Amino acid sequence: MRPGHPLQLALGLIVWSLWLVAVYAGLSLGCLLARPGDGLPATWLNGLLGLFTLLTAAWLFGCAWWLWRAPPPALAARRFVVRVGAAVHLLAALATLFVGLPILTLPPCL
Amino acid sequence: MSETRAQSPERLHQDFHAVWGNPTGWRALSIVNHTSIGLRFMLTGTVFFLIGGLLAMLIRAQLARPELPLIDHQTYNQLFTLHGSVMMFLFAVPMVEGLAVYLIPKMLGARDLVFPRLSAFGYWCYLFGGTILVSSLALGLAPNGGWFMYTPLSSAAHSPGVNADFWLIGITFVEISSVAGGVELAVSILRSRAPGMSLDRMPLFAWYMLVTSLMIVFGFPPLILGSILLELERAAGFAFFDVARGGDPLLWQHLFWLFGHPEVYIIFLPAAGIVSTLLPVFARRPLVGYRWLVLAVIGTGFLSFGLWVHHMFTVGIPLLGQAFFSAASMLVAVPTGIQVFAWLATLWTGRPLFNVPMLWLVGFLVIFVAGGLTGVMLALVPFDWQVHDSHFVVAHMHYVLVGGMLFPLIAGLYYWLPHFSGRLPSERLGRWGFWLTFVGFNATFLVMHWTGLLGMPRRVYTYPAGLGWALPNLISSVGSFVMAMGVAMVLLDIGLHFRFGRRAGDNPWQADTLEWATALPPAAYNFVSLPACTSRHPLWENPALGQSIAEGRHGLPTIDHGRRETWGSDPLSGQVREIIHLPGNSWLPLYAALVLTVVCLSLLNGAYALAGVAALATLGILLRWSWVNGAHPLAAPDARTRPGDPPLHSRTFDGPGLWGMGTTLLANGVLFFSLIFAWFYLWTVAPNWQPPARSPLPGLALLLDGLLLGAIVLGFRWLVRRLRRGNHRRLEGALWMLAALGLLQAAGLSWVLAATPLAPTASAHDALIAVTLGYLLLHCALAPLFTALQAWRVRLGLVGERAPYEPAVVLQWWDYCLLTFWASYFALVLFPRGIGA
Repeated sequence: MRPGHPLQLALGLIVWSLWLVAVYAGLSLGCLLARPGDGLPATWLNGLLGLFTLLTAAWLFGCAWWLWRAPPPALAARRFVVRVGAAVHLLAALATLFVGLPILTLPPCL
Repeated sequence: MSETRAQSPERLHQDFHAVWGNPTGWRALSIVNHTSIGLRFMLTGTVFFLIGGLLAMLIRAQLARPELPLIDHQTYNQLFTLHGSVMMFLFAVPMVEGLAVYLIPKMLGARDLVFPRLSAFGYWCYLFGGTILVSSLALGLAPNGGWFMYTPLSSAAHSPGVNADFWLIGITFVEISSVAGGVELAVSILRSRAPGMSLDRMPLFAWYMLVTSLMIVFGFPPLILGSILLELERAAGFAFFDVARGGDPLLWQHLFWLFGHPEVYIIFLPAAGIVSTLLPVFARRPLVGYRWLVLAVIGTGFLSFGLWVHHMFTVGIPLLGQAFFSAASMLVAVPTGIQVFAWLATLWTGRPLFNVPMLWLVGFLVIFVAGGLTGVMLALVPFDWQVHDSHFVVAHMHYVLVGGMLFPLIAGLYYWLPHFSGRLPSERLGRWGFWLTFVGFNATFLVMHWTGLLGMPRRVYTYPAGLGWALPNLISSVGSFVMAMGVAMVLLDIGLHFRFGRRAGDNPWQADTLEWATALPPAAYNFVSLPACTSRHPLWENPALGQSIAEGRHGLPTIDHGRRETWGSDPLSGQVREIIHLPGNSWLPLYAALVLTVVCLSLLNGAYALAGVAALATLGILLRWSWVNGAHPLAAPDARTRPGDPPLHSRTFDGPGLWGMGTTLLANGVLFFSLIFAWFYLWTVAPNWQPPARSPLPGLALLLDGLLLGAIVLGFRWLVRRLRRGNHRRLEGALWMLAALGLLQAAGLSWVLAATPLAPTASAHDALIAVTLGYLLLHCALAPLFTALQAWRVRLGLVGERAPYEPAVVLQWWDYCLLTFWASYFALVLFPRGIGA
C-alpha cells in the first residue's frame, strides 16, 4: 500500500487488534489443547506468544520507520496521512509491546 | 464549478425554499431534512434524559437512609435497570448522534446528509423502540435484570414474564437507529465535504464523529446478535447460554462487553469533539496539536475495543489473559491524556474567555480527569477484585459518563443555542445552573467512592444501619437533588431564552467553523451556494464568507432543476467528484418504522404469525424505498447539469450508495463473525459442549450449493465489468438468469436446513448451526430478489448505460453472501472434521 493511502491511518492499529485477538485466542487454545505445567513462571506457550508479539511489534516498528522516511507526497493531504500513519504504526508497536509484556512473567493457564 | 449568480438573493432563497422547505402540520412527519431530524433526536433524547433522571431521584431517595420503606426490592430492580438502560441507550448515544446529524453537514459545507431517509428512519426506530422500552415501566413490567442483562439471571427460568423481553426487543429496535446513524454519518463525512476540505482541513468534530460512527458500526452488532440469541433462547427454547445444554453464560458477557466498553468511548468521543471545537473559540487561538489529536482519536477508537474483558476480571479468566486487558485498559489513558494536554496547552497559550460554555468545559476537565484516574485504578486486577460490583464502580462510571459526556454536551448546547433559536441564553441563570450541577454532582459521586470503599454493593435496595454507610448515602442523596436543581435551572434558562434571550447576530462567538456561516436559525438547505474550503478555520480566514454564500456566489447556486443537491467529494483530498442528488420528503421511513413496531409488539405478545406478516410488509416498504432512486421519475430523471459541473452520482460508478452498502455490510459482517466467534467460543470453553461424532450437515450438498453461489457471483462481476466498459447489451436477460440461479441456490440452502436433523432446543451445537444456516438463507434469498428488481429497472430504463450505478451496489451484497457462506462452511463443516469431531 502506498505511504499516502488513507488506510495507513488505521492499518497499524488494525494489526494491533488482530494481534490482541490472536494472542488471547492462542492463550485459550494453548491451555485447552496442550496445557503446559501449572505454576511454572514461563512455558513453551509463553515463548510462542512472546515470539509472535515480538515479530508483530517489529513489523509495526518497520512500517512506522518506512512511513517516516518516505519521500513527502506533493499533495498536503497525503503528507498528513503519511505523518499520522507513521505515528499510528508507532503507537500500535508500543501498544503491542506494552500489552504483551506480562507474557514474560505470568504463567499462562492459571 | 463555482458560479456567481445574477439573481437577487431573496429570489434565490425563495426558489431554494420551494424545493427544500419543510411541510407543516401532520405532513411534517414526512420531513427527512437533517436539521429537523437532528433536532427531533435531541428533543426526544432530552425527554428520555428527564425520565432517566427521575428514576435516579427515586433511587437516591430510597437510599438516603437505612431501611427506608419507600420502594420495595422488585420495583427498585426495575428502577436501576431502566435508569441505566435509558441513560445509555435512549439518551447518551442518540443525543450525540442527533447533535452530529444536525451539525455535520453544516460543518462540512454541505446541504444535507447523504441518506436523509435513513436519518428519518433511524429517528422513528429510536422513538418507537424507546417508547416500547419505557412503556414497560408504566405497565409494571420493566426489565429488572440490570442494564447488562446477565445470563442466567435474564434467562426464562430465572426471569419469567416479559420484563427482559421488553429490554431485548426495545433495545435492539433502538440499536437499528444507532447503526443507521453510524452508517449515515461515516459516509457523509467521507463523501460530502466542501471542495478543498481535505482530511487535514477537516473540523476536529468531524474527525471525532467519523471515528465514533465507525465504532458504532463495529461495536453495536455483537450486542444485537447477543439480544437475538437470548430472545431466541427465551422465546423458542434454543440453547446458547444454558450450561446444561452445552451453552455458556459467559458468552453473553463477551458479546455484551464487546459492545459495552466501546460504547463508553462512543459516548465520550463526540463529547470530546465538542470540547475540541469550543476550546479554540473561547481561547481565541487554533487548537494546539491538530495532528496529535487526530492520532489520539484514532488510537482511542481502536484501543477501546481491546478492553472489554476488564469488565469480567472476576469470572475466572487466566491471569495472563487478565493481564493483557489490564495493560490495554491502562494504555487507553495515553491517547486520552494526549487530548487533555492539547486542551490545556490551548488554554495556556490562548486568551480564554470564561463564558457559560467555558464553565462547563472546565467542569468537564476536572471531573473527567478524576474519572479517568479511577479508571486506571480499576484496570489493576487486584483492586478491581476488591471493589467489583460496589458503589465505587458506580461512582467511577458516573464520573466518566456524566463528566465525560453530559458536561461537554451542555457546553455544546449553550454554544449552539443561537443555531436553534437565533438568540443567546442568560449568563446569570447559566452560571447558577452550572454551579448547582457541579457541586451537586461531586457531592453525590465523590462521596459515593467512599461508600463503595466501605463495602456497599451496588443494586441493593436498602441497607442496615450501623455499617457506616448511612452518612455518605445521605450526602449523595442530598447532592443528587442539588444536581437535579442545577439541571432544572439549565432547562429553565434554555426554555426562557427562546422568548427573552437577546438576538445573537451573525457568528456570535466569533467561531471558525462553517456551521456559523448559515443563517441563524438556518434554512433547510443550510447554504444557498456551497463554498470551497482553503483552511481549517474558514471563518477566521474570511469572516464575510456567510454573506457571499447567501448571495449565491459559490458552488451549485441553481435550483431550477428541482433537485436537492450537494457536492460529492473525494474522501482524501475533498476535491469534487460528482453531484449527489438527495431524496425529498418521504413517508416511507415512518411507515417502515411503524411496521417494525408491529413486528416488535407482536414478538412481545407471542403473536409470531403477525410478526412474520409485518416483517414481510417492512421488506416491501424498504424495497419501495430502494425503488425511488437514481433515474426514477421521483428521484432524478433529468440528469442534465450546468456546463463545467460534474455528473450526478447516479450516473457514475461511485456514489454514496456504494459506500453506504459497504459500511452497512461491515456492520452486518461484525454480527456474522460474532456468531462464528460464539461457535468457536462454545467449542473451546463451554463445559458441556458435546458435538456429535459426525456432523449432521450434508457436506456435499452444501459444497455444491456454495459452488453455484460462486458461479453466480462470478457472473454478476462479469456483468458489472461489462457495464463499466459501457456495454449493456442483454443486461436485462442476464440479470433475470442470475436471479433465477440465485433462487435455485437459496432453495438448495433451504433444503439443507430442512434436511439436517437439528435439535436446537436440546443442544447449543445444533442451535448455533440452525441460526447460522438461517442467517445465510435470509441473505441468499434476498440476493435474487434484489437482482430481479435490477432486471426490472433495466426494462423500465432506470438502470443501464445511462445510469449504470446500481448493479455495482447489488454486487456487494452477492460478494457478502459468498464470503459468509464459505466462512460458515469452514466453521461448521471443515473445522469439526479437521479436529475429528
